[in-house]
Amino acid sequence: MYGWCGKALRVDLSLGKITSEPLDPNVARDYIGGRGFGIYYLSKEVDPTCDPLGPKNKIIMAAGPLTGTAAPTGARYVVTTKSPLTGAITCSNSGGNFPAALKQSGHDALIIEGASTRPVYLWIDGGRAELRPAEHLWGMTTHAADDALRKETHEKAKTAVIGPAGEKQVLFAAIMNDRDRAAGRAGVGAVMGAKKLKAVVVRGEGEVALADPAAFKAANAKYRDAFKAKTKDNPPPLRTHGTAITVVGTQSHGVFPTRNFQQGTFEGWESIYGETLTKKYLVRAKPCFSCPIACGRVTRIPDGPFKGEGEGPEYETVYSLGSDCGVDDLAALTKANYVCNELGIDTISMGSAIACAMELFEKGLLKESETGMPVRWGDGHALVALTRMTGMREGFGNILAEGSLRLATRYGRPELAMVAKGLDFAGYDPRGEQGMGLAYATSPIGGSHMRGDPAYFELLGVPVPADPHTWEDKPPLVAKWQDLFCVIDAAGLCVFFSVRYLVEQNLMVKPVGITELLNGATGAGYTPEEVEKIGERIFNAERMFLLSAGFTRKDDSLPPRITEEPMPTGPAKGMVCKLEEMLSPYYRLRGWSAEGVPSETKLGELGLLQRLKA
Amino acid sequence: MKVRVNTFANLRDYAPAGKSSFELALADGASVADLISALRIPAAVQAVMLVNGRRAGAATQLNSGDEVTLFPPMEGG
Repeated sequence: MYGWCGKALRVDLSLGKITSEPLDPNVARDYIGGRGFGIYYLSKEVDPTCDPLGPKNKIIMAAGPLTGTAAPTGARYVVTTKSPLTGAITCSNSGGNFPAALKQSGHDALIIEGASTRPVYLWIDGGRAELRPAEHLWGMTTHAADDALRKETHEKAKTAVIGPAGEKQVLFAAIMNDRDRAAGRAGVGAVMGAKKLKAVVVRGEGEVALADPAAFKAANAKYRDAFKAKTKDNPPPLRTHGTAITVVGTQSHGVFPTRNFQQGTFEGWESIYGETLTKKYLVRAKPCFSCPIACGRVTRIPDGPFKGEGEGPEYETVYSLGSDCGVDDLAALTKANYVCNELGIDTISMGSAIACAMELFEKGLLKESETGMPVRWGDGHALVALTRMTGMREGFGNILAEGSLRLATRYGRPELAMVAKGLDFAGYDPRGEQGMGLAYATSPIGGSHMRGDPAYFELLGVPVPADPHTWEDKPPLVAKWQDLFCVIDAAGLCVFFSVRYLVEQNLMVKPVGITELLNGATGAGYTPEEVEKIGERIFNAERMFLLSAGFTRKDDSLPPRITEEPMPTGPAKGMVCKLEEMLSPYYRLRGWSAEGVPSETKLGELGLLQRLKA
Repeated sequence: MKVRVNTFANLRDYAPAGKSSFELALADGASVADLISALRIPAAVQAVMLVNGRRAGAATQLNSGDEVTLFPPMEGG
């Protein structure tokens, strides 16, 4: 096979057994890779009602055909499992260098099953793989583990590890690769911790074989040249200032979540946004494998109580650990980001849980006798302390470690958790961004912006603008973008480059460039329409897993703060999210019933019927 | 009439004195296109344009006291 390695590695942690399996060429063609392989294996092999932290759950780590190639941003892999935070599917995505190494080691996917009784790590050295004891690594931070693992395996090895948060099964623990890149969302790190798998370490130095090297090279050059031409007059803001520049878009539109989504504008935004980060703490921009953008931030806080160095913050962290907690101290939120990276925690759910705690505290529902400290809006010291306590499950951190929904429910106010399906929202208030509300509510993993991100067209003008306040036009756009994101995540590409260069530059975003690159790599001879259909297949397969796990239409919902409480300030003042108005038209055009269940006709059309019935 | 202009990232290069936020005097009835031309922003430089927090186009008419925000298209967060 070309583009694909044609091989998956099955790792049974209960038996300590590793087997290599051929990749079915039909599955490769029908699901592309990455997120597609994730849902293929998960729905085939995992009972959707299983205990996410039990041995019956599996972790699928999968790269795409473009991962590890010279394709622009061919750096991504996807971790698919059943989430312990939500009980839904999750498919967390990350870049860096580990995914390319995994692919270059000759593997498209790892299927990790069972559970070990003792801590272990998986060492893949090209074609050889073994499980090794990891007692000596258990308890280490992600950075310490990365150092130790590269020392005892190979200096050029790449790692994906869990920190203490994953070991202690913090329900939103991340898997950190290359030290500071995160497959962050919905607790993939906790599943790894429950399996007592400390790390996956890979050395991969092979080349991914291409079906048509000349065509691949030509497509690659064409899109890289387009990037160069456009950025000549328009330096990419993500390279200059990192994703934290996005605050400009959200604050200007009045959708920058503030104090647990009580407001959409933050008075301290200029203290924490990208340009301030550049001026005060940026050391250098850092690209992932094969990326011309380089949005990653290596930063350093030279002095003061939050002194430190590491990577970040990204936009989502600036929202979650910043405005959402009322924190305008960039050093404090950056330090909390470093702690998240070192302990292995998703920054979004961490900030959202603290914001929820702050609101409960300010309302008098949560007492200092329980938290051990005042938990007030804007307190940067409390922010850093609570983050550390959560990662270690110490004191009140043990309650925060269960996530915002369980916290708010414990204190009798579940509606104060800003979640969809139990997963915390990203940094966009859907009251002033109607499409984002529909995207949060219908995302198969819950409140994620990365399952078809309407912020591109609603806020950021990419590829072309659409009005964020209208809801009537959003169902078809959200569906189209959700399917596109399945394709991007399956191919092994990054969304940031893809939406500007690898799709037609209109709201219908036909994946023309992605198709060209896929064909050059795999020789599959896809049409853009077939590739779009694969995106729809993946999305519907994820939906079926979700429904089988017990989710229904009532779970395609948003908290009353978003659908009933009008936005109090800013350009979106007076608005609520019209979710119910959007949901039925969305179901209809997806070919789903009024209860949100894909029809047999739709499943048949996507080739899912037989498999799901079997 | 006077409007307030907020510029970000590379668009600040076109702000008088490099200040992110400033007041600008324009002829009555001026449009966003007139503002872009007053700031000498070249056509090749792309900008997302908001007037009072709502999406605007080059033809959008401005009124005294309006707040205009200009930032480059971004790939996201």
